[in-house]
Amino acid sequence: MNVADLIALLLQHSPALIVAVPLLGAFITPLISRLNDKVRNVFVILTLGLTASLVFLLASDVFTGNIHTYIFGSQDLALPVVRILFEVDAMSAFMAIISVILSLVAVIYSWSFMKENTGLDKYYTLILLMTAGMLGMELTGDLFNFFVFLEITSISSAALVAFWTNKAKSVEAGFKYIVISTIGALFILFSIALFYGQYNALNMAMIASAIQYTFLDKIALVLLIAALAMKAGVVPMHMWLPDAYGKAPSSVTLILVGATQASLYGVFRVCFTIYGGAINLTPISVGWILVILGIITMLLGVAMAIIQTDFKRLIAFGAVAEIGYILLGIGTGLVVMLNPEMTATGLAAMKGGIFHIMNDALDVGLLFLVAGAIYYATKETSLNKLGGLARNMKYTTVFFIIGLLAISGMPPMNGFASKLLIYESTYQLNPILSIIAILSSIMLLAVFVKVFHAAFLGPALPKFENVKEVPKSMLIAMGTIATIIIIFGLFPELIINNIVEPAANALVNYGDYIREVIPSFAGGV
Amino acid sequence: MDFLQISQTAMMVIIGTIALALFGIFFGLVYKGIDRKLSAHMQGRIGPPIRQPFRDVVKLFTKENIVPENAIPWIFNLAPLVGLVATISILLYLPLGGFQPLFPGKGDLILILYLLIIPSLAMVIGGFSSGSPYATIGAQREMATMIAYEFPLAIIIITIAWRLSMQGVTNVFALSSIAATPVWNIAGPLGFIGFIILLLVLVIITPAELSKIPFDSPEAETEIAGGLLTEYSGRNLAMFYLTDGVKTVVMASLIVALFFPYNLSPLFGLESYPAFAVDIAFYLAKVFLVILFSVTLIRVAVARLKIDQIVYTYWVPLTLLSLVGLICIMWDQTIMANFGLQPVFEMLGIV
Amino acid sequence: MFTLESLLETFQTGSGFWNPIIWVVAILVAFLIAVILRGFGNKEYKKNTGQTQAFLSGNPEYEKEQMHIKSSNIYWGFTESLKWVFDSLKKMHTGNVSDYALWFVIVMAILFVVLIVGENLVGAI
Repeated sequence: MNVADLIALLLQHSPALIVAVPLLGAFITPLISRLNDKVRNVFVILTLGLTASLVFLLASDVFTGNIHTYIFGSQDLALPVVRILFEVDAMSAFMAIISVILSLVAVIYSWSFMKENTGLDKYYTLILLMTAGMLGMELTGDLFNFFVFLEITSISSAALVAFWTNKAKSVEAGFKYIVISTIGALFILFSIALFYGQYNALNMAMIASAIQYTFLDKIALVLLIAALAMKAGVVPMHMWLPDAYGKAPSSVTLILVGATQASLYGVFRVCFTIYGGAINLTPISVGWILVILGIITMLLGVAMAIIQTDFKRLIAFGAVAEIGYILLGIGTGLVVMLNPEMTATGLAAMKGGIFHIMNDALDVGLLFLVAGAIYYATKETSLNKLGGLARNMKYTTVFFIIGLLAISGMPPMNGFASKLLIYESTYQLNPILSIIAILSSIMLLAVFVKVFHAAFLGPALPKFENVKEVPKSMLIAMGTIATIIIIFGLFPELIINNIVEPAANALVNYGDYIREVIPSFAGGV
Repeated sequence: MDFLQISQTAMMVIIGTIALALFGIFFGLVYKGIDRKLSAHMQGRIGPPIRQPFRDVVKLFTKENIVPENAIPWIFNLAPLVGLVATISILLYLPLGGFQPLFPGKGDLILILYLLIIPSLAMVIGGFSSGSPYATIGAQREMATMIAYEFPLAIIIITIAWRLSMQGVTNVFALSSIAATPVWNIAGPLGFIGFIILLLVLVIITPAELSKIPFDSPEAETEIAGGLLTEYSGRNLAMFYLTDGVKTVVMASLIVALFFPYNLSPLFGLESYPAFAVDIAFYLAKVFLVILFSVTLIRVAVARLKIDQIVYTYWVPLTLLSLVGLICIMWDQTIMANFGLQPVFEMLGIV
Repeated sequence: MFTLESLLETFQTGSGFWNPIIWVVAILVAFLIAVILRGFGNKEYKKNTGQTQAFLSGNPEYEKEQMHIKSSNIYWGFTESLKWVFDSLKKMHTGNVSDYALWFVIVMAILFVVLIVGENLVGAI
């Protein structure tokens, strides 16, 4: 068997392998942990590296326009439910890339960051489980399967949020997270039951092809949007998010950003694909709901961030605000989807929103890693007690500046490109939307300039005299993300054309996703 | 695109940047001198000669460049440079002297809006990094001022772009499209009022953008000793001085480009070099008038506001005012269509 | 896929554009000019003298901890003039998990009203 055949075989089975590799890795990790700590760390990094290369392999094929399906169970499509179907289109692949990059960077970062902790076998097991859960949510084509992976992600992330069990607040945050996740997941399960009762199907494509937009469907839509939006931290259901992000170890927070976005992906999958055929039946557009939620999320997120004094809590509110941009962009796309005069606007807004998912993950992730580095060096997260660290931690300072410029969308960072797309498309829907988006962006700048002053600038404080730069593994992790941020910022057109546009088209042309399973489906062209 | 074209573009960028930097610095200092002379006359003083700003820069260059011990030297020294560099780069995208921008298809209004933040941001970071309480207070005030005026400024920019997009103009955020379709030419009676309101608000935003009285509480010499510039001296201070000059030209050119993109040469039917000369002179006169009204007159006429008053002024009265302008402009087309009205300039027979 | 041209392309949004590479080149040139200009200046000062002390209107310098303005004091003017907003926002964030669930129920109720009741109303009209 030659290399080309092997790659073709890997490509064919990659949807299953992408989830299976981290899942199996998770169960082997405790065993390897018995041998040696370093061997285990290397094993975890290799596992995620392998997953990442599989994701890139699959994505490189999917972005050319193919949709991959993978069937577990009966191959006979006439039998309704006896199978689980993975279906990977460009949007799924795009999200999987984000998740896997975040997880990989997080484990590299953890090498030094978590070195002094005990119970690391459980930590790495949970991280791999959580990654498997996120990737599963993004690749699955089955609604019940989506719920299962959502639960895997929730349970493992709740355990990770509370990983520092010696701190009462971490445990409290973990408790809040599990309560909120469970409530959300129950409502998702309920809406899946509503679909199953009506259409005798759990497969997203099958439900989408059969959907009638009945009264029960409307209830299911309400439940799904509310529950998934809560898991994504949309205002006013965001309050668990600063608690969880703020109290989890920074490496975990980085993956939590990915988990939040996987839920957000759920919102878009539901609105665009499952309800795609029903969208012209609604006099009140679901898109407007997303846009309004996005605006509220943006404004409230930055307003709360301005008055925070805890480093990680502040970034968490910044992350809430960034979610608002994504909702605004993609919501605008949904509003104008059926308006032929505004197709270009809608597509630009969608591209901006989807590009911003990636940028949000990178920018917020980098800032969380910097916060973690500062915690590692000083054992301090309160901004009122920090100061003058730019003298001791030069590299971390540079990475923070990059993160600061990127999250507030200053040129030439990646945030500018996606925000530019969002501003220059949403104004056509309503000028106020762009105005608020620009304003929030400036306020985000103010928020992080405050952090810059509080943590890095000012006189040299005697208590931080002996603070040193963080170890190499953490610098490598931060450097990787910073490099991606700058590359994305300098070549936005390249990124948009090659990976963002296919993802946007995948959401808009929902018919292709359905036809991959139900070839007779005629709508959604 | 082959290698030749790329190297041509690269040469254009390099030579253009050098020329624009010299242009911006020279005229920035000239207008600063005129502004000082005029404001002195308005206050019944004689005032310094117009070339005084040049002498000031030379003087600052000969002074010692003190880096305080509480400062972080590399950020403290880098901030003034970044401010000047970013301000110069805005000139690349602005129509100057009645010509098209140097790179008309490479940057738009939103980019200019963001690049305008960088000089202020550099001052803020420079102030914070000097580690002095006065400078810190000044810097945080500057940042609060920035959030404050950015709200009405965003309304103005988005409104203009939205109105042009309703007119069917493509690339509405490009300054070249705005120059090709002046807003007054397409506005009906209600829209005309709306644009006058927006122009007024933009004129009031300018002093804050340039940290001039009444919005200079970040620098407030009399209470916080120069605020964010307290610890700066010598050549670093000279860099901020130059930035201020260039930024004045940039801000005035932006107002000219948004609201007064007219040229005199078509009126006289001139071509080639005479036309260039007339247009450049007319442009310089327009910039002078904008500076006179938005900087000199305001700063002579009123006293300094407190920082919470600045935020209130921008976020409540001025934002509401510009929203009124926005609503006028949004209704303009409907009213024009319903009552069969023409744009005001057509009714007056100007266009 | 990765040709030289595609790297230099201008980023188009449909209503505007932005070319990062040209900007970066211009920034580098302008930086060079600024550095040269700055090089004409005097770069000396007297280290470790009274000159480098922070200016406090002639008062002696406090301890370093007190010289650093704390982050909760930053943006006073902004939070002061919008006090009512921030006070109500703080009141909203109770940190109580039952309130978190309550907000979820409220949002669900609003969505229900908008999507189902509102839709029927619009349909009836």
